[in-house]
Amino acid sequence: MSSYKDITSPELIKDIGSLHPINNMKDSIMDLLASIGFEIVDGPEIETEEFNFDMLNIKKSHPARQMHDTFYVEGKSNLLRTHTSPVQIRGMLEKKPPLAFISGGKVYRKDDDATHLPMFHQVEGIYVDENVSFAQLKDLIYKIIHSLFGNDVELRFRPSYFPFTEPSAEVDILSKDGKWLEILGCGLVNPIVLENCNIDSNKYSGLAFGLGIERIAMLKHGVKDIREFYKSNLDFLSQFK
Amino acid sequence: MKIAYSHLIGCINENPTVDEMSDRLFQLGHEHEIYNNIFDMEFTPNRGDCLSVNGLLRDLGVFYTINSNKDIYQEAIDKLSIDFENLSKEVCPKISFLKLEIDKLPEIYCGDLKNYFSDLGINTNNFFTDISNYLSYETGQPTHCYDANKINSKIIFEEIQYENEFETLLDKNISLKEKNAVFLQNNKVINLAGVVGGKSTCCSDETKTVIVECAFFNPESIIGKSVKYDIQSEAAHKFERGVDPECHDDVLRRFVKIASEHAVIKSLSLVTHNYQDKARHKILIDIKKINQIIGIDISKDKYISHLSKLGFDIDGLFINVPSYRSDVKTQNDLAEEVARVIGYNNIPSTEIKIPKNISQYDKGIENKIRSFLLDQGFYEVINSPFVNLKNNNCIKVDNPLDSNRRYLRTNITSSLVENLLFNERRQKDSVKLFEISDIYSSNNGIHKQRNLALIASGRVGLNYEDFSLKINEKYLMNLFKKIFPDQIFNFQAVSRNDLDTKNKSEILSLELGVEDFSKNILEYDAVSKPPIDFIQYKPISELPSSFKDISYSIKDYNKAEELQELILGFEHKILNNIFIFDYFKNEKQNEIKIGFRFIFQSRDKTLTSIQIDKVLNDIISKSLKISGIEIPGYNLD
Repeated sequence: MSSYKDITSPELIKDIGSLHPINNMKDSIMDLLASIGFEIVDGPEIETEEFNFDMLNIKKSHPARQMHDTFYVEGKSNLLRTHTSPVQIRGMLEKKPPLAFISGGKVYRKDDDATHLPMFHQVEGIYVDENVSFAQLKDLIYKIIHSLFGNDVELRFRPSYFPFTEPSAEVDILSKDGKWLEILGCGLVNPIVLENCNIDSNKYSGLAFGLGIERIAMLKHGVKDIREFYKSNLDFLSQFK
Repeated sequence: MKIAYSHLIGCINENPTVDEMSDRLFQLGHEHEIYNNIFDMEFTPNRGDCLSVNGLLRDLGVFYTINSNKDIYQEAIDKLSIDFENLSKEVCPKISFLKLEIDKLPEIYCGDLKNYFSDLGINTNNFFTDISNYLSYETGQPTHCYDANKINSKIIFEEIQYENEFETLLDKNISLKEKNAVFLQNNKVINLAGVVGGKSTCCSDETKTVIVECAFFNPESIIGKSVKYDIQSEAAHKFERGVDPECHDDVLRRFVKIASEHAVIKSLSLVTHNYQDKARHKILIDIKKINQIIGIDISKDKYISHLSKLGFDIDGLFINVPSYRSDVKTQNDLAEEVARVIGYNNIPSTEIKIPKNISQYDKGIENKIRSFLLDQGFYEVINSPFVNLKNNNCIKVDNPLDSNRRYLRTNITSSLVENLLFNERRQKDSVKLFEISDIYSSNNGIHKQRNLALIASGRVGLNYEDFSLKINEKYLMNLFKKIFPDQIFNFQAVSRNDLDTKNKSEILSLELGVEDFSKNILEYDAVSKPPIDFIQYKPISELPSSFKDISYSIKDYNKAEELQELILGFEHKILNNIFIFDYFKNEKQNEIKIGFRFIFQSRDKTLTSIQIDKVLNDIISKSLKISGIEIPGYNLD
């Protein structure tokens, strides 16, 4: 009688889905910042001009407030938030310093091309305490960039301009092909913004930063066209397991 | 703004290379690209003072010795008598007029004027307009040239609030609406202030007597006008960002000097109307505050030295802010100036220690459901909220990007139906998607609800146990019972009648507020984990895919594993995916039947059956070399 080795059935490969790569990237950045001490706060996507612009020292005449840059809704009574900063404004109005908030989510601007979409995602953070300095901001930015791109990545800080921070900076990393790529914007919170939130700017100072999630995800995953993220194409999504 | 390296280097003693200068410009915060030794500058909106050669040189003075060799007309100039009235002094607090007559028009240009047009490849216009354009480039101050022979009555400056027609010097007719700052002659607009001059009074190739207007306009009155009237205006770009109110005399004397290099000046007169004596802004010297903001420890001498390099000077206890730096008002502004001189990259970082907060954000239920759905083969998607369908209580976008999508969606399911059809058109026969998003509606105010929606259709899965099972209500009910034992879910069948599809598979959906899910969730051990490493995405093909199935009969059980390894490990550039869709072990007949599905797709062309068969035959011939294996019905010859 011949004997044979019985085999088990073929491995039953369970079909597992995937998180959306943008949500996954957002979550991992938020988790990192939460581990540093930031509290995650949430806010509405439909905002008022007061919270989206005025409180952030973005003047009435600022180009960002024009109809060609911002989506207004319901007879201009409200708008689709152009950044997640209003969430932090709401947070600062509710709590007293020291405070450290991060907020992440969808934001809207009137753009549409291979690198910009009318809807995209941001993670922004703010830390307000006594004696918060630009030197501390640099340390925080190094921590964020190193966790995203590794400790060996070369980065540079460039002076920039945002109405809600002063001094302001943009941060670039050096890509493998020798090009500087802009990664995030940051700065010390403009004392006007602190005062708008009833925080004594003589006693307290703050730092703030903001990252565009799609930009980071495009760099990390090698996606060249931002629109790929939003086609809901299973051939695309199934690559991010 | 384009600035030629050659125009900068002529005023710098140290002779830096283009790359060295580029590094310095980045340190100062002036982003740019370089083409053919021309810096294509992108200045931040607060630095209107840098929108010129002289402005950029002022900043480069931090690193280099600047030797501006731009001569101005030094002689006394007669006072111009001009019939002018300013009815909106708050909009234009300072304005100067220069009247200049030359003997004849030059045939060729020389010196800086010539270099400007030739080095930057700019077309010339007429003599006086060319000087005006060059001076805007050199000094940052836009000026406007009127043909003096066309100014024959009183000029009025006013911010009007009535409609008016205006023909620009670029032959464009515009209807002025709402508030506009304008110059009027005989009640007709002759100049849209700070944006573009008018056809009726502009200079021509014949003009030998010019009236040059040099003004300071309140930026708030100019902002948005060039966009509103669709006019490309470099002048507006500068006025919107603020110009130097104290530069009029130097700029107009420079105008005269350049004109005199090309023609004989026959007559010359100048007048300045200054309605508002603006003292220069002063900021208290506070080294401690500056050190605290930046996180450094510099001495007062160093502090003053840094600021003096940028044109700031000391006045007792105060820092005097230069007239061209309207953006500097506070200690934080001064801190930024000091930090720019030091270089942001040269400021040492200090360890940040944020006190750990107690209340951590808990996405509990949402993340549990996400994780569970992932394990059941669902893919998370994100859709745009802009839709064309108007539902009750939906919010209307006032200024949509696409007029066909002017409403915000009031449900997620409609987006998921579109996603499902998109994937079915790409030959996907098992589609399971979900999305979690805030949904907004309007009913006596704006309401927000966080919804979770899912959609599913086709095969339960692609493995051999799920392949022949179709998604239906029972399947979804059983799925959700695993973690929500006491909640009944109302899965909706989506009719295909109104959908553009020939597919017959049942579509099921569910949409619920996240808050409406039962809090009684059974503990669930997630199988799927977010990827640890970041995946390098492989571009996907937009071309159709094809599949082929092969079923093997295996009599010698020992060979089954060998066959699987061979088939599943087979690689070819047009072979997109291989999986086992069928498996049956018949103990009585001592036989295993195993079916493989091969998905073919090319990135650059639609595949022919010959190309597919070639790969398939290769697989078959290799697999049949394993003894005891056959493909029922397949003839090896």
